[in-house]
Amino acid sequence: MSTGSSTGIRVASADDIPEGEGIEIPRDVTGTDDDIALLKDEDGSVYALNNTCTHEVASLADGWVEGGKVECPLHSSKFCLKTGAVEGLPATKDSVAHRVEVREGEVFLYPGERPA
Amino acid sequence: MSHQRIAVVGGGIGGVATVAALRAGGYAGEVVLIDRAAFPYDRPPLSKDYLAGTRDLKQIALQQPEWYADQRVELIGDADVVAVEPAADTVMISLADGQVISADHVVLATGGRAVRPPIPGSGSARVFVIRDAEDADRLRAVLETTDAPRLLVVGGGLVGAETASTALGLGASVVLVDPLDPPLAAAVGPTVARFLHDQHAAHGIETLATVLESVQETPRGIAAQLRGEDQAREFDAIVIGVGMSPRTELAEAAGLEVDRGVLVDAGQTTSHPRVLAIGDCARLRDHHRAEHWEAAQHDGQRAAATILGAAAPARTASWWWSDRHHRHVEGTGTMRAADGTHTVVARGEIGDGPFAVFTLRGDVVIGAVAVDDSNAVRAARRMIDRGTVVDPEKLADPQTDLRKLLRG
Repeated sequence: MSTGSSTGIRVASADDIPEGEGIEIPRDVTGTDDDIALLKDEDGSVYALNNTCTHEVASLADGWVEGGKVECPLHSSKFCLKTGAVEGLPATKDSVAHRVEVREGEVFLYPGERPA
Repeated sequence: MSHQRIAVVGGGIGGVATVAALRAGGYAGEVVLIDRAAFPYDRPPLSKDYLAGTRDLKQIALQQPEWYADQRVELIGDADVVAVEPAADTVMISLADGQVISADHVVLATGGRAVRPPIPGSGSARVFVIRDAEDADRLRAVLETTDAPRLLVVGGGLVGAETASTALGLGASVVLVDPLDPPLAAAVGPTVARFLHDQHAAHGIETLATVLESVQETPRGIAAQLRGEDQAREFDAIVIGVGMSPRTELAEAAGLEVDRGVLVDAGQTTSHPRVLAIGDCARLRDHHRAEHWEAAQHDGQRAAATILGAAAPARTASWWWSDRHHRHVEGTGTMRAADGTHTVVARGEIGDGPFAVFTLRGDVVIGAVAVDDSNAVRAARRMIDRGTVVDPEKLADPQTDLRKLLRG
């Protein structure tokens, strides 16, 4: 996995992501092993996790985002938006969280950097 | 609290959820998990990618091996419990190897076994069920070692439909029989049931509305006599997927109240205060068994809360899923009101694309089924739990954001 640059990569406008949903940023943009899901909680905060559920092949960007968690669209495994920690079976492995910042309505991603 | 040891009998999703919830809830005593298998594994894949051979037993483990040590859970695998004897101050658990474990509370999570109807000849080794990993292993072995295998699937419910779809993917020619045409209408409503059942024929499975009357082994396979047919048909294997019966023998021998499941109260406690029961082996008094994966998980969390004296997690509308013919099906709640006064709203066209069907009673959603549209079911489930009043026209419009509808 690449290390993040100091300024991050501008990957989307915050308005591109509906509250409670996610969008997928392809790996050729992020330079990561996996695509990255940008996920917006109901309060408008934006988070970034590896997009592929650690259980089976499903896209977390298509998941249900609520209360600090994203629920996988396939089998409802739950992951913490802040840390990527698995919080609900059937997944047993944590996802990977990446640092993101929203500046003036633009989402900057720091692939491979842990969130603060 | 004075607990020193809690034992959980059965390592399905319910048993594993129980021990996880005990630790998450701060239980500091010993936790023992006893399983018939070497380690707890997940059962939904048994009719899907585990049967297909694309995921192995380790890949369907319910927890990573190190998790048990991290959580200080003593896992006793490959173990048969032969007796559970509750007394006033303790419960004794006897294993087949002679080991005896005492515990302050025992949680029965023994699950169920696949129903085998008394069909003449069905004791044959060519007749299979799908309940444990070994069942799927044996069926896969036949499908993989036979040229152009011929499979008869009896029962068009979730396990039958998934097994038929997986076997087709393994190159089998498949015949699926069920007396109901379409099957599953009670669970998904008649329209979606018709659509789902027709998917079998669309993919080359022969579906017949009939029953298997008898079977007989032949030199090369097994002959199945279907009702209404003049001649028996020959297959290499037959899978029976017509439901499950709860494993209640330990509870019965322990003198617990059992009636189509170990009877439990709202906190999962059986008729003995030191014994709890969860998942497929249990039945909440005056309710049907749920028989769903997530329901077993919630039961385990409730049982842990009862033991810890903590507040139980809120009950939610039921939720289940099924995967067949590359379509992902989910359902929540009920698709018909008990008194028949419900209306049905379709969102999206029932066909190749994503769609959902909602059942409403008045202006409140009581159930939903979706194909390739999980978030419609996620939304419906929350509408059911919150009693959200919805406009059926907005619900039917695929352009309506269901999250917004949910917020009211």
